[in-house]
Amino acid sequence: MQSEDLLLFAADASRLMLESGGETYRAEYTAMGIIVSQGGTEAECFATSTGLMLSFSGEDGKVRSVVRRIKRHGMNLEKVYRIDNMVRHLLLGDIDIEEAARQLDEVERMQDRPTWVRMIASAFGAGWFSLLFKGKTVDALTAAAMGALLSILIYEFQRLKLPGFLSSFAGGAFAALASLVAAYAGLSINTDAVIIGVIMLLVPGVAITNAIRDTIAGDLIAGLARGVDAVITAAAISAGAGGAYALWHLLLSGGQA
Amino acid sequence: MNSQLSAILSQLREPLFAGLATSAFSVLFGLHSADVILASGGSALGWAVLQAMPASGSPAFATFFAALAAGFYAEIAARVRRRPATLYMIASIIPLVPGSGMYYTMLSSLEGNTFRSVELGLSTIMTAFAIAAGLAISNAFARMAFSSTVQGILKKKKIFKNPDKH
Repeated sequence: MQSEDLLLFAADASRLMLESGGETYRAEYTAMGIIVSQGGTEAECFATSTGLMLSFSGEDGKVRSVVRRIKRHGMNLEKVYRIDNMVRHLLLGDIDIEEAARQLDEVERMQDRPTWVRMIASAFGAGWFSLLFKGKTVDALTAAAMGALLSILIYEFQRLKLPGFLSSFAGGAFAALASLVAAYAGLSINTDAVIIGVIMLLVPGVAITNAIRDTIAGDLIAGLARGVDAVITAAAISAGAGGAYALWHLLLSGGQA
Repeated sequence: MNSQLSAILSQLREPLFAGLATSAFSVLFGLHSADVILASGGSALGWAVLQAMPASGSPAFATFFAALAAGFYAEIAARVRRRPATLYMIASIIPLVPGSGMYYTMLSSLEGNTFRSVELGLSTIMTAFAIAAGLAISNAFARMAFSSTVQGILKKKKIFKNPDKH
């Protein structure tokens, strides 16, 4: 493989690692590992959650570098494993670079879980969390139904490529409104237990923890970027939920409040 | 005898819910069959440790030990399955992470309840910090014991022409 191709390949693997929810240092080691396995030297990678820079010196002594922007953020841990495994085998000499390129292509083409699987998983996730946060059976069932609906809503928002802020806002508003409507319709539910179960599908708890993990590992910029993202997401969800509450009380009181 | 059994069962209730919630979330996070079960076990273990901590202590302290337990579990699962520990870590900390804390922090701040928002915000950050610290410590121990990771192999290879500079 030419040095230029190697550079682009390593940058793509690193980008895919970040897009799939891998840690910052893992994305950096992914790119460096691919380059070192092919005899490149002086490999350095600087990654954050919004972009990465990579440079190395080829066998001819020339230094090459590339920048990649990262715009998608998802969580697909199977992809993290596949890429990590590919780099490890490449470093150990078990596979050659052509096989590695084929494997990376395969990972890039991997489909997300089908919508109905995501719906069922979201329903169970919301339901069990509602029980864990002291909800009763009826709360859990309500949360499960809303979780399933919310997963469709999130999926549609992602398909329309709406900004993350907007989909979090709408998700928060949906969770609050749906539980208020359910309580109004006569279901004897504890709205707090229902909302918290449903909202667990949206909240950036893992994101804020990963931000601090990055910071502890010394990736200060990456940690800050992730932390800001988490705070904005939480603000959007609560703005949505708070707005829905206010609107609901305004409607119920007939504009008298 | 029967009351003892029901006492034990009621202790297992919450870890069971935590594990089941995690299994649903690990499917959303792209894990497959055996990994889903392993990750759920880790989160049940973490929640059991959290529950076993004295209620009088600080919540962040209890969360730290829960994350430490989940972290060690994840590292062991990772070596057994020969996969990155992060697969099991991210999934098993899901019940511990302060997602609801972040939500309530922002909600109280929007409601104009600044005092409560600061209080909740601080405890949220402390919790996230406790989890990250627990995972970092278990990871440091695991790295001392094993070095089959990409990071470990890279350290043994010659990356730089002039290594003294780095």
